[in-house]
Amino acid sequence: MQTDTRLQTSNYATKPVTKAPAWHGLVAWDMLLNGMTTGLFLVAALSELVAPDRFAAVAQAAYPVALILLLVDLLCLVLDLGDPLRFHHMLRVFKPSAPMSLGTWCLTIYSLPLTVAAAISPFSEQSVALEWVRRLAVVIGLLPALGSAVYKGVLLSTNSQPGWKDARWLGGYLTNSALLLGCAEMLVLSLLMNDANAVTILRPALGLLLVLNLVALCLLGFDLRATLSRIYSRWEVFGLSAVSLGAGLLVPVCLLLVSGSSLFMLAAVMFVLLGSLFIRFVITALPHASA
Amino acid sequence: MASREMELTGFPQTSDPPRGPLSALLGRLIDPFRRGVPPEPRPPTGFFTDTTVCIGCKACEVACKAWNELAADGLHWSGNSYDHTGTLSASSWRHVKFIEQFPADHAPSHPVPQDPTPSGTGFSLDALLNETKEGRWLMMSDVCKHCVTAPCQQACPTGAIIHTEFNNVFIQPDICNGCSSCVAACPFGVITRSSVDGHSHKCTLCYDRQRDGLVPACAKACPTQSIQFGPIDELREQARRRVADLHKRGVTHAYLYGDTPSKSYSELHSFYLLVDHPSVYGLPENPFNPWLHMQGDYVRALVGGLTAIAALLAVLLLLGN
Amino acid sequence: MPGLGTSFGFGAASNHPRDLANSDCVLIMGSNMAESHPVGFHWPVLAQQRGAVLIHVDPRYTRTSAVADVFVKIRPGTDIAFLGGVIRYILEHERFFKEYVVSYTNAAMLIADEYRRHDDDGLFAGFNPATGGYDLIPGAWEYACESGRDGERGLPRTDPTLQDPMCVLQILKRHYARYTPQAVSRVCGCRPEEVIKVAELLCRNSGRERTSAIAYALGWTQHATGAQMIRAAAIIQLLLGNVGRPGGGVLALRGHACIQGATDIPVLFDMLPGYLPQPRAVPGHATLAQYLANGKSYLARRGDVPNGLWKEDVVRGAWSDMPKFAISLLKVWYGEAATPENAYRYTWLPKIDEDLSEMSYFVKMHQGHIRGTFLMGQNPAAGGPNARLHRDALRRLDWLVIRDFFETESASVWYADPEVTDPKAIPTEVFLLPAASVVEKDGSFTNTERMIQWHDRAILPPGDCRSDAWFAYDLGKRLKALYQNSPLERDAPLRHLTWDYDGGNLGIEGEPNTEQVLREINGYHLGERRQLRGPAELASDGSTACGCWLYCGIFPEERTNRARSKGPQLHGTSVYGEWAWVWPENRRILYNRASADPQGRPWSERKKLVWWDETAQRWTGYDVPDFEIAKAPGYRPSADAQGMAAIAGDAPFRMHPDGRGWLYVPYGLKDGPLPVFYEPLESPFLNTLVRQQSDPLTVVPADPMNPIVPPGDPAYPLIATTYRLTEHYLSGPMSRFDSWLGELQPEMFVEISPELAGERGVANGDWVVVSTPRGEIEARALVTERLKPVIVDGRPAHIVGLPIHWGYAGETVGAIVNDLSPLSLDPNADIHSGKSFVCQLRPGRLRRVRPPTPLPMAPIPILADPIPETPDAAQPAGRFRHGQ
Repeated sequence: MQTDTRLQTSNYATKPVTKAPAWHGLVAWDMLLNGMTTGLFLVAALSELVAPDRFAAVAQAAYPVALILLLVDLLCLVLDLGDPLRFHHMLRVFKPSAPMSLGTWCLTIYSLPLTVAAAISPFSEQSVALEWVRRLAVVIGLLPALGSAVYKGVLLSTNSQPGWKDARWLGGYLTNSALLLGCAEMLVLSLLMNDANAVTILRPALGLLLVLNLVALCLLGFDLRATLSRIYSRWEVFGLSAVSLGAGLLVPVCLLLVSGSSLFMLAAVMFVLLGSLFIRFVITALPHASA
Repeated sequence: MASREMELTGFPQTSDPPRGPLSALLGRLIDPFRRGVPPEPRPPTGFFTDTTVCIGCKACEVACKAWNELAADGLHWSGNSYDHTGTLSASSWRHVKFIEQFPADHAPSHPVPQDPTPSGTGFSLDALLNETKEGRWLMMSDVCKHCVTAPCQQACPTGAIIHTEFNNVFIQPDICNGCSSCVAACPFGVITRSSVDGHSHKCTLCYDRQRDGLVPACAKACPTQSIQFGPIDELREQARRRVADLHKRGVTHAYLYGDTPSKSYSELHSFYLLVDHPSVYGLPENPFNPWLHMQGDYVRALVGGLTAIAALLAVLLLLGN
Repeated sequence: MPGLGTSFGFGAASNHPRDLANSDCVLIMGSNMAESHPVGFHWPVLAQQRGAVLIHVDPRYTRTSAVADVFVKIRPGTDIAFLGGVIRYILEHERFFKEYVVSYTNAAMLIADEYRRHDDDGLFAGFNPATGGYDLIPGAWEYACESGRDGERGLPRTDPTLQDPMCVLQILKRHYARYTPQAVSRVCGCRPEEVIKVAELLCRNSGRERTSAIAYALGWTQHATGAQMIRAAAIIQLLLGNVGRPGGGVLALRGHACIQGATDIPVLFDMLPGYLPQPRAVPGHATLAQYLANGKSYLARRGDVPNGLWKEDVVRGAWSDMPKFAISLLKVWYGEAATPENAYRYTWLPKIDEDLSEMSYFVKMHQGHIRGTFLMGQNPAAGGPNARLHRDALRRLDWLVIRDFFETESASVWYADPEVTDPKAIPTEVFLLPAASVVEKDGSFTNTERMIQWHDRAILPPGDCRSDAWFAYDLGKRLKALYQNSPLERDAPLRHLTWDYDGGNLGIEGEPNTEQVLREINGYHLGERRQLRGPAELASDGSTACGCWLYCGIFPEERTNRARSKGPQLHGTSVYGEWAWVWPENRRILYNRASADPQGRPWSERKKLVWWDETAQRWTGYDVPDFEIAKAPGYRPSADAQGMAAIAGDAPFRMHPDGRGWLYVPYGLKDGPLPVFYEPLESPFLNTLVRQQSDPLTVVPADPMNPIVPPGDPAYPLIATTYRLTEHYLSGPMSRFDSWLGELQPEMFVEISPELAGERGVANGDWVVVSTPRGEIEARALVTERLKPVIVDGRPAHIVGLPIHWGYAGETVGAIVNDLSPLSLDPNADIHSGKSFVCQLRPGRLRRVRPPTPLPMAPIPILADPIPETPDAAQPAGRFRHGQ
């Protein structure tokens, strides 16, 4: 093949070849809500199973919340379709090699035990049988919940979009982030329910998960550095990093370390949520900003 | 990897009598799940596009629109040579690209020598006859590549995208729900979701015409047979002969794009003869199938999740008791 | 047409586009074949794939140049200089095909001593500076002939050794001696080597074993010297021995689907069907006998002497049958009323007393001399040169009848033209009658290869749309009814006109039977009540009727319409002899006798076409021989032989009295027997090859709206050239009302080079104003290297490229480029100079009262029924209401 040194007046070479899908704000919210519902379920389930006496109460409150979050998330997903009235076509095939299909099925399966658990939770004290059913539902729901958390990042990194296609750690980050969010939500629930036992465990857990998430986010950032520096100026990249890492992770860690007061913890959770949302918007914008 | 999915001949044609509202609703819910008998596989077909004989007439664009009853995309003057279509879209399934390549020096062409010799000799006649033409205007009709292993087909969660019995990639328009996974997956930027009906559309390789034994509309209309259609192995044979022929005639930088698989991508059933880098034509230099990363990405996702779970469990166990 | 007609005999393409696949070298010049004839362009591309060289010579680098192997850029209008350079090369290096030239051309003929050629001034004998034209000096420009019996003209004197200084070949050599590569380069702007390159490629690919073809289109015809440019190509092809041979010839790529038919059965003011001259109001045409005695070339006569060379047409060659053609034509028009006693009603034919060609006609209209006009599928408001004058002229009519598919610029000239401020003040009454499209009617096309193909209606026309045949037939019936009781002699032709074509396709009332029209064109024998089988059956005693002698044979029997035939058999390498029908007499390649040597053997196996079969004593081959079938190669006519008997067995060009191809044209062209390079009428440059600046016989209609720019005027230093794009058609009615085509080229634009853009401060996409003394337009600028200027006489020749397709009516609207062009007629064919005039360019926009308003985009029609045997999911996307 020759190296062409002649003047070229075509701009096909300077424009991106791929087309960006029409995924905008709803996708960012979906990433957040997906992480929140699956993370909340997983954290609630694991904490309940490992330390039931400490977490049973909070967990019971968590499942309905997770269900509501799931329903809102599903609504976002359906509305984001080009033809929402055909959403049921997603269940025509089971195609695990397609992340979107795997995710659809995981979410669908996950919703069933979650519904059972959420429905039974207010009444589980009334009957041992109901309690066992609830526990069974929770256990059954573990794997689909994990699957639902895992698929999101892989969906976004398994395509040809600039930025996303290089984000090898996007799935790792989002799954890790789901658990972080779940822990944060449990903490909020515990605070609201004045469950100090839960809070004392969840607070250091949250701190540890924040540190782990920092690692995950750095790995993701490393994947995306070329794309980010192509799209944004140095100052903009600096700003993005400051908000994501700093406000989203470092500040909450500091807040948690500094004081054990509810206010500080709530503030930390707010930072985590907002920071996560911000990061997700940045991720969503990558292919569009590349155009 | 060709998935042999269902055929939909069992479906009612649109000229069937209208249904009542309940029947229509049930139809909407149930019909997509019905299955028929897959058609017998036929010899795989495709396109070979020889860009060296493309004259940029855009008959392919118009024939495709006329056959498929696609709307015009609007009147937008681009200023980019003669390409006002701009890009493939949900209603433009063929797109002719124009690339002007002329020497960078802006000196006006061919000043007259100051003291001419009477008969103009002083150069080699053979060298004169063999000198290459100055300047190029490359033209290329872009279309869906009908990849043998198609990321769009791999991404599609509804099973709308299938490989037909001719091994062409086809979007079943009554199944697609517009999730746009295919749009994100295509490394060539072919598929677009329509803003009018919310579904994704692209070249069907005239599946309807092929089933009736006809040649696709664009290949039929192409006046110089730049777009050639036929069994894919015959096309590859023709293409290789053409490249050898061009090499013999001095066009040494002619090559085929997509006729053979690479390490990162399968072969294309709509492949091209090009004379410059793929990026000049707006094609990826090294197309990459995103599914090569998928398994690793799942592992990394699990790692991310499981480390968090492990940490959580550790705290729960240590502090919970 | 006159260029080819005078050189070879027929004013039509000698070969067919498919035959280009047999060429070893194709020169496309004065044509942008890939963009204007994209389907036909397949054949040169195929030739290229088989190893042929494709050469494109043009002022712009176009889509044709992109595919060509060799591209040479020349200044618009300088084609004769370039071709002259090629001719000089062929002669200087003696590369011409000697045997062919000696036997088949008039190279050896001696020219009369009255011929004088001042090599500097670019004029020929008889030029009168006072009149600006050529006096008709007896014998000037003609052959030197032996004296015959009784002082009559004898045969031309010849020198087969080609050495006599007054033989055509030596005259040719002296004439083109000044067209050196350097001189040509100075005029055209190409490199001197490029002339040599093209000439050498043509020479290497001609001769016994190889043939080259030259294809041209409106890039040559739309010049004041258009006919002479074609002549120059004809000279090259005759010298190289390419005429009448497969893969050779000169291809006129005509600009419309049926324009060949429109000149064969013409609606031209100065021609009758079959290229018979329309009689004039001059003494020589007063009676039928005089008309026939003076023959076809009377109007090109070089002096009023009884034995002028132009009279040879009457005596020798195929045109000696003119009485048969003319009388059969009169019989078909006037039927029983035409008898030998009343000279077949010859006096009923209108006689021309003034120039009524299109431009002159519109100038008369502009000056108020015309009261009403029919425009049938014609859009002069945008398509006519100096369109503002055309629009102004239309607005002076009392009435205007328009037949078209859409409300074109001409139909809406009274209100939609942005120049019209008050439609109520326009006195013209406009009638717009909707026309049926080609798929809605039966009929035939005659395309550039002289092929007549029949087509049947596919669907009925909607609403009130009617075909032009229906309209003309109905109008004729009404006029006949109106005048049927008129006692006036001048209405007798109308009353007696044969006019019975009832019985057309069922479904439309009053639709004429167009096959009946074709039967009539073919002709019939009145006594025997049968169709004629060929022109040999034509008679001059009133027993035959024939609408066009060239088409005789197309409908040989009552039910045999050869235009319908679709025989797939290939003969030789490109002759599909049973596909449709070609005039004359289904001869696909004209003058194909020349594909065999004087003894009747093919020049080579590779280039076999027709040959003499010694055993059967007839000509045979892959094509119908364009020669008398039983005339032996060795046949030599006696001195007083007449008609076809005067044509020798080795004289392929039977339409000429000497049977030779004419390198030198002794009569037939008004501005000279040999092409001279003249500058276009409007040019920024002075002629450096000859002293005469431009063609002295160019006619410039005098009208205050038609000012012409003098040569070298610094106020208009840029060369304007107009052309087509593939995506649109002519002035736009057939493409700018269609969004599928409109979106391919959605706006009017002008193409300029980066150099010119830099000089004027214009960036790509900026609005610019282009102006000439005739008008101003605004458009976006497409800045492109493809229009890089050449250097002419030391300075750049900047070109402003103007696509012709826009107007104010349609879904995409834009400036009318013809507002800029001048009215000027070339002396031989009355064609305007659209390819080279001058203009000025500045950035900015025009201040105007209102811009033109585009129509909203019409929705795409969706088929009502699904495609059968195809699953629902595989139906066209429109079915799913996509795009609604």
